[in-house]
Amino acid sequence: MNCRKNQSILEKVKSYFSNKEVMARGKRKENKLKKIILVGSPNVGKSVLFNILTGAYVTVSNYPGTTVEISEGKGKIFGRSIEVIDTPGMYSLLPITEEEKVAREILLSEIPDVVLHVIDAKNLKRMLSLTLQLIEAGLPLILVVNIMDEARKMGMEIDTQILEEELGIPVVATSAAFGEGIGVLKEKIAEYIFSRNIDADKKVG
Amino acid sequence: MAIVISKRIEYDPKIEKAVSNIVKLLNHDYKISKKSIALLLLQSDESIMEMVKKREGKVYKLIAEIVEKTCNSFDKPLNYVIAMNRQRVADDIAGKAVTYSRKKSSMTVSDILERITINPITGIPIFVLVLYYGLYKFVGGFGAGTLVDYLEGQVFDVYINPVVNSIVTTFIPWKPLQELLALDYGVITLGIRYAIAIILPIVGTFFLVFSVIEDSGYLPRLALLIDKVFKGIGLNGRAVIPLTLGFGCDTMATIVSRTLETRRERIISTLLLALAIPCSAQLGVIMALMSHIPVALVVWIVFIFLVFLLVGYLASKVLPGNKPSFYMELPPLRFPKVTNVLTKTYTRMRWYFFEVVPFFIAASVVIWFGNITGLFQNIINVLAPIMHLLGLPDEAAKAFVFGFFRRDYGAAGLYDLHKAGLLSGNQVLVASVTLTLFIPCIAQASVMVKERGIKTALAIMAFIFPFAFFTGFVLNSLLNLLGVSF
Repeated sequence: MNCRKNQSILEKVKSYFSNKEVMARGKRKENKLKKIILVGSPNVGKSVLFNILTGAYVTVSNYPGTTVEISEGKGKIFGRSIEVIDTPGMYSLLPITEEEKVAREILLSEIPDVVLHVIDAKNLKRMLSLTLQLIEAGLPLILVVNIMDEARKMGMEIDTQILEEELGIPVVATSAAFGEGIGVLKEKIAEYIFSRNIDADKKVG
Repeated sequence: MAIVISKRIEYDPKIEKAVSNIVKLLNHDYKISKKSIALLLLQSDESIMEMVKKREGKVYKLIAEIVEKTCNSFDKPLNYVIAMNRQRVADDIAGKAVTYSRKKSSMTVSDILERITINPITGIPIFVLVLYYGLYKFVGGFGAGTLVDYLEGQVFDVYINPVVNSIVTTFIPWKPLQELLALDYGVITLGIRYAIAIILPIVGTFFLVFSVIEDSGYLPRLALLIDKVFKGIGLNGRAVIPLTLGFGCDTMATIVSRTLETRRERIISTLLLALAIPCSAQLGVIMALMSHIPVALVVWIVFIFLVFLLVGYLASKVLPGNKPSFYMELPPLRFPKVTNVLTKTYTRMRWYFFEVVPFFIAASVVIWFGNITGLFQNIINVLAPIMHLLGLPDEAAKAFVFGFFRRDYGAAGLYDLHKAGLLSGNQVLVASVTLTLFIPCIAQASVMVKERGIKTALAIMAFIFPFAFFTGFVLNSLLNLLGVSF
């Protein structure tokens, strides 16, 4: 019974997105709207980032599981329009909860120009596992190490340079709630989606 | 951008071999890499298996064979082996990139707060304090008291209603139409007045408190604290969210219950929300109703709480399914950002206003229709014998019928009866208990159907309806038997 229920929700999401996709494809010909997807565990600040990137507000929470609805919004980066999708919290590409299933379903049905994996700096070690899975999946990934302020308070120092070298993807340190690191993040996104060259294309795949 | 080679995890050789064999067999495009698909297949991911079966057709049999063979060659589940492989790499990278500049300073204020909020001995009194100041004082006192008094007593009773009534009676000659818009049950004088003067301040103050509690990181701690009690009623600590939100608006809370992990938990929490969690509007009126008889208020609280535990316990025994497991991250306690709290409160209020308020307006139209056609009188006549069983006067039936349209209409109906001196203390108590348990309002009922499906929703309501009256009957008999009167 449980499975069937999940299935029906997934079906809904699927059909929802396949419709969207058809529409988006039609639009893309004339407009070529770049698409950004936010992923990560609950409670890492995805919604705050969504808010910053789109200018719209969705419920931001300090509680796992409050962002169940999929939020979509439009925004601008350096004057160019982008489309942003916020996904329900996920811990792994292998889903357990309904929310994780929905989040993965989005990754399996959308064609993002960039995926932002948002993690909590304090739990870097544990959350990197999903980063590795997303890299493995060949998604165009940027790692956003968020909540740096609290990590610093705990005496943690994180070298994003080393992370970039080790992971082979762009890494940005932010404290989204305080607007810290957002400029750099926008630059990296722009670099990724507006001037991606063939070499950059090669590295994922 | 420099050309960099992204990190590649080395898995166990047997897994690597299986992955490359599966990848060779995958002919279609999956949007994510074939390696990922292969790894998910090895971890027996059902929806991926389904998808691959559909797309690859006959080849799937070969893939399934590889999966099975690989599974059998490990004594631990493959998802565990793969996760361990990955975590080793993650640990290695984190080890290189993270340094601890200084040891964690001894005990800060937030450390102490974090500790005492989850320790039962200190945590429960803190919870009681949060309830007392957050719910009782701020929502009940300030929202349902000061704000409602001003908006209803001043703005509506003095300015808006008299004006609306006089305009309507002057310009509209037809009495039924006058009653639709104004007078006792009119859309403007009752529907809009309720929505703006009573519900909005109560719900608004509640959402404000809830947003502060939510953003401070207190809720997960409360969830941890209360987890043990909740296990007994087939829920886990996670259910704290929808259930506390229910004290604001049960309709919204029923929607939020979809965050719970299993269908079983979702059904139990939907049932409990419909049955034993009074919403802020209803709570406000009931508190006002029993403010002169505080002992009855305590009896009401204890009684409803016992019903909550009993029905939850029974539901968890009756409904099939596994016991929920509890895993939740404890974020640090944070000082909520004012702008975030305000915007969040605002978005919730806006949602509430646009999604739920139309129901009040529709409800007052239905009440108008039921009144002029005499339909309500018929229903009330049918309910009258039940009222007698509960030791209540006939007029109380009206409160129950209205209660279905808005939980607090019902309570407000009782309030009117009480003011008219028609109810004794015992009757107030019995009626309040029954009305609290009574079927949810229209808005909540329709959300229940939407979220849980028509069958489950009807089953829940079919249980609640007789149960509420039966409980009222038991309470009334108990009071009579013990010779208690308030």
